[in-house]
Amino acid sequence: MERGFTLWFTGLSGAGKTTLAQLVERLLRERGRRVELLDGDVVRTHLSKGLGFSRDDRDTNILRIGFVCDLLSRNGIIAIASAISPYRETRDHVRSMISDFVEVYVDTPLEECRRRDVKGLYRQALTGRVSAFTGVSDPYEPPLAAEITVHTVGRSPEECAAEIIGWLERRGYLDPVATPAVNMVPGNVQHDQQAKEEAEAYSPEEEADVSARLEALGYL
Amino acid sequence: MEWFARRQARPGVARRVVVIGLDGVPHSFATRMVREGRMPNLARIFQAGTVRPLTSTWPFVSSVAWSSFMTGCNPGKHNIYGFVDRRLNTYTMFLPNSETMRAEPMWSTLSRAGKRVGVMNVPVTYPPREVNGLMVSCFLSPALEKATYPRELAGRLQRMGYKIDADATIARRSKTEFMRELLDVLDHRAQAMFELMDGEPWDFFMSHIMETDRLHHFYWEYMEANDPVWAPAFYAFYERLDTILGQVWERIGDDTTLIILSDHGFCTVRKEVYLNHYLRERGWLRLQPRDGRPPTLTDITPSSRAYSLDPGRIFINLEGREPRGSVRPGAEYEQVREALAEELMELRDPDDGARIVERVYRREEIYHGASEMNAPDLVVAPHVGYALKGALDRDYLTHKGDVLIGEHTHDDALLYVSGHDLITATLTMQDVAPAIFALMRVPEPAGLDGTLAITT
Repeated sequence: MERGFTLWFTGLSGAGKTTLAQLVERLLRERGRRVELLDGDVVRTHLSKGLGFSRDDRDTNILRIGFVCDLLSRNGIIAIASAISPYRETRDHVRSMISDFVEVYVDTPLEECRRRDVKGLYRQALTGRVSAFTGVSDPYEPPLAAEITVHTVGRSPEECAAEIIGWLERRGYLDPVATPAVNMVPGNVQHDQQAKEEAEAYSPEEEADVSARLEALGYL
Repeated sequence: MEWFARRQARPGVARRVVVIGLDGVPHSFATRMVREGRMPNLARIFQAGTVRPLTSTWPFVSSVAWSSFMTGCNPGKHNIYGFVDRRLNTYTMFLPNSETMRAEPMWSTLSRAGKRVGVMNVPVTYPPREVNGLMVSCFLSPALEKATYPRELAGRLQRMGYKIDADATIARRSKTEFMRELLDVLDHRAQAMFELMDGEPWDFFMSHIMETDRLHHFYWEYMEANDPVWAPAFYAFYERLDTILGQVWERIGDDTTLIILSDHGFCTVRKEVYLNHYLRERGWLRLQPRDGRPPTLTDITPSSRAYSLDPGRIFINLEGREPRGSVRPGAEYEQVREALAEELMELRDPDDGARIVERVYRREEIYHGASEMNAPDLVVAPHVGYALKGALDRDYLTHKGDVLIGEHTHDDALLYVSGHDLITATLTMQDVAPAIFALMRVPEPAGLDGTLAITT
């Protein structure tokens, strides 16, 4: 069974957690890995329906996500969590529940998150219409020693995702080259060769970069 | 055994050849520019040779068409069917590249015959191959440092301000800025081309200009609609290109033949057409729900019978080939292909009822060769102006955007050869390589699909 683990994205609202989590999810799937993405916002409509934004409710939400991540990663699946998860103590609690836990701190300054304001929440928080909003009226405690810290300002999501994949490869969480075709057709020399060549021409980061260029040209 | 004997190198003096690739420049447009006096240098060049329309490949995108040009073969032999392809026996994607190309590009043959070559920017030349001379790979290169042979050439190009490609993301931000970017990339490409042409020894030199294709994708409709700002800017770009072509022409001595060609025509986008949306709506394709996240082909369910990749390539979800394939090879495969092809022929533009599909090819009608098994099962030929897309995440069949407003056409590409007549039969991308081998007196390799296009 392939090695499962949990990739936990934390950061302010609008930092880019979901964007990065989805990109990383796609890159991992393209390598033939089984992946499950648990998005904080989505989880709140199912697993944690009815929970609010008090400290207790937030902790409960995070611990539930952590519980599911542990189940998945123990079974060879890569669990990706994307949640603000503002409290250090709670994140550390989750860490203690999961044997292979990789914390990814999406480090985007508050000013930049406010500027992006993807969901219009900062505007509402600043006018008092949303209470207990992380970074405005509720604290965010950045990790002291996240496995990966990603700076997003002035960089494309693809670059940031490539950085994460590169880290996972270097630390042995992922095989450095994806060769699914080799596994699918054992002993077929031509296919083995073909898979090898495809794998060598571009690294996953380069492939993501060139694919993004093709997408901008409408070729995908 | 070969059906026909290989064409032997002709006796006589070997000529040098310069090829200028003008990506996506239609024959009809270039000849109009000449007629209207907007490209006086190209007019002089055209007078010294023959210019004729050329037809592209199926599908008619640069990666496939230039691969047919450089190998003289159909995609069934060279194995390049698009900008992305699926790994065999998986639903995951890879980027076809020079290493997955299964036929030999002409510069490898020429190098082996002792000819010095220079090759710049031709699509699907990444990773760069070792040649007897130099190579600068195309816009599919991840970075300039990795795009050259020999490797040291990259530094020289960098110092010249050479860029692999214009940054197309600028076009979404500002058309003014993107036009500036296009001219800048074009100028630096021309500067690098002339420096290498003048400073390096060569028997064969090819430089590919991609900026024309980019211009067309983002400005073609403005040009056709005579937009007061962008139509003049469009023509100004062509005037700049004409100056560069004039500078090329000055370098063509008596011993050298100049070839100019494009890989497809261009038109205004009528609509983008999302075939996977259609396949999903009609129950041919089923994807596992992804909770609002963008779907990929890996979400395909076993009840799916077909899926599509850009542009107009259709794959049957075939048992034994696709991991969750459910259509049995043989009679069922044929039935499914036929039923789907018939249905696609009836595809209509929801806004005006116009037919979208002109024809659907079965793969054996257009591809043959050792890599045929990697080909799409069906290839959809759209009516002019319908841009067939492979995206999985659209919840609409058609869309008319305001950024990508130009689209390729299969017919109306361009071929020009100086000092020679061209045969009058329909010419295709794969017909150019035999002419180059003949001009350079290098024996043509076995198995080429092209016919000799020039008469002497």
